[in-house]
Amino acid sequence: MYILETKDLNHDFSGLKVLFGVNLQVKHGERHAIIGPNGAGKTTLFNCITGTYKPSSGKVLFKGMDITGRTPHELTRMGIGRSFQITTIFMNLTVFQNVRLAVLSKRGIRFNLFRFVDKMKDITEETEEILRRVNLIEERDFPASALSYGKTRALEVALAFATDPELVLLDEFTAGMSRDETHAAVELVRKLTEGKTAVLIEHDMDVVFSLADRITVLHYGRIIASGTPEEVRSNQDVKDAYLGDLEV
Amino acid sequence: MKDKITKISLWLMVAMFLLAYPKLFGMYYVNLFVTFMVFAVFSLSFNMLLGFTGLLSFGHAIFFGISGYGTALALRHIEGIPLFPAIGLGVLAAVILAVVLCPVVVRVTGTAFAMVHLAFGQLMYVLALKLRNITGGEDGIGNFPIPNVSLFGLFSFPLKNNPVNFYYFALVILGICTWLMWFFTKTPFGQIQVGIRDNTKRIDYLGFKVPESKSVIYVTSAFFAGVAGSIYGLFHNLVSADGSLNVLVSFTAITATLIGGIGSFFGPIWGTAIFQILEELTIRFTEQVELVTGIIMIIVIMYAPRGFTGFLATLKLKWQLSRAKRRG
Repeated sequence: MYILETKDLNHDFSGLKVLFGVNLQVKHGERHAIIGPNGAGKTTLFNCITGTYKPSSGKVLFKGMDITGRTPHELTRMGIGRSFQITTIFMNLTVFQNVRLAVLSKRGIRFNLFRFVDKMKDITEETEEILRRVNLIEERDFPASALSYGKTRALEVALAFATDPELVLLDEFTAGMSRDETHAAVELVRKLTEGKTAVLIEHDMDVVFSLADRITVLHYGRIIASGTPEEVRSNQDVKDAYLGDLEV
Repeated sequence: MKDKITKISLWLMVAMFLLAYPKLFGMYYVNLFVTFMVFAVFSLSFNMLLGFTGLLSFGHAIFFGISGYGTALALRHIEGIPLFPAIGLGVLAAVILAVVLCPVVVRVTGTAFAMVHLAFGQLMYVLALKLRNITGGEDGIGNFPIPNVSLFGLFSFPLKNNPVNFYYFALVILGICTWLMWFFTKTPFGQIQVGIRDNTKRIDYLGFKVPESKSVIYVTSAFFAGVAGSIYGLFHNLVSADGSLNVLVSFTAITATLIGGIGSFFGPIWGTAIFQILEELTIRFTEQVELVTGIIMIIVIMYAPRGFTGFLATLKLKWQLSRAKRRG
């Protein structure tokens, strides 16, 4: 039984085929990395899973349930979180307000027009708890636009986790980070994914091999290998297509 | 604690001033203030869309106008209808119009949203001119009966031809509206609203329904624009296409909001006040009021893009910085 499964997933953008019969299988509780060269269709695969696009054909199963073509807000309520390669946060709100929105959603507070949000103590406490976990508590009252690059990425990841999802999809959470920032981000994701299932798109092989329990290699819209890091590393197709002679 | 006392005493002073206003100033300025309140509330309802949800409408007057017409028609044709139900019918008309429009308008943003509203605005304007037997065409509906204000028979006082009474009446109704709109921004839903403005995609991925949320905001905004429009019709005892449905009415809200400051809740109130003062001063010298307001508009957009409230905030920041520097 897989927590996330795609069956024969195809997607094309009016004629340009991007995914060719992708069968992805993600086990409960693992950290699963998806790697592949630029243009391999990794982000498109994420978009088909999380409802940004409706796949042209094929199925997406979450805990055995068919979720193909469901909208993002439905999937979030079912327990799927997502972070984006391009930072998708609320730039004019404070860090606290950013995370609080996720907490409100998690608590099912959606059309409440009868209370001062600032006076909801339990919401404030839970939001601060999350901020402490992701090391953003000191930037609590900064507008998100005033954060350093590394911190905006941390906030991006925090928003994906703040709704307390069972399954999280992280799209290149280390993109554009310095060495130190990457190191901190990896530790953060390691901590946050405890007890959850995570699928990560990642280019940095150090990150992949230090975090992932299993790896799937996507090459021009097709899965060419899937397995443990050792299996993938020794796979001849992967070496030819992607890793090359890279000493990893 | 000290802050709270200052705050409360400040608000008390404002309340005292507003209560004493008709005694302090003449009839002319009483009427001017009523106009100010009406357009301040109208601009606030407009800013709910522009400043807090990021939706620019070029036709917000449709709700202002339809509500005015609704109230006027109710008072003209329904024998013995009390005041509040008549206002309610007008506002209901605005709300129904918003409910009818929202399946379309919540799915468009940016230029499309603005243009759809421009189109609906012109449509309503032309309809008001053409449906003569209902709307009175160019003449509008005038001199309709205005019942006394009464609440469950507790009190009753006349509004018609009584500007001072009307001032207090408008002050209470529009004051409540202002407070409600302010409260709206402070609720959990108000947070979702600014979230939609900042990043609609993330709101969707956090599990909120974007079109449904936008609909609630849109209808609420129409409700308050409707209250303003209804009061405006009662105030002049006249509703007309040019007075309440014209595209210039929509633009009054836009300019007032821009000049007052989009980013702040109270910006549109400042903007409306600035406009009225400018108009008062200009009209003493020339009829071409638009010329002056146009120039002010250009100056604001070029040198103070965050409007008057943004300008004040910048000044405050500079003052604090210079004080900090002096202290070392």
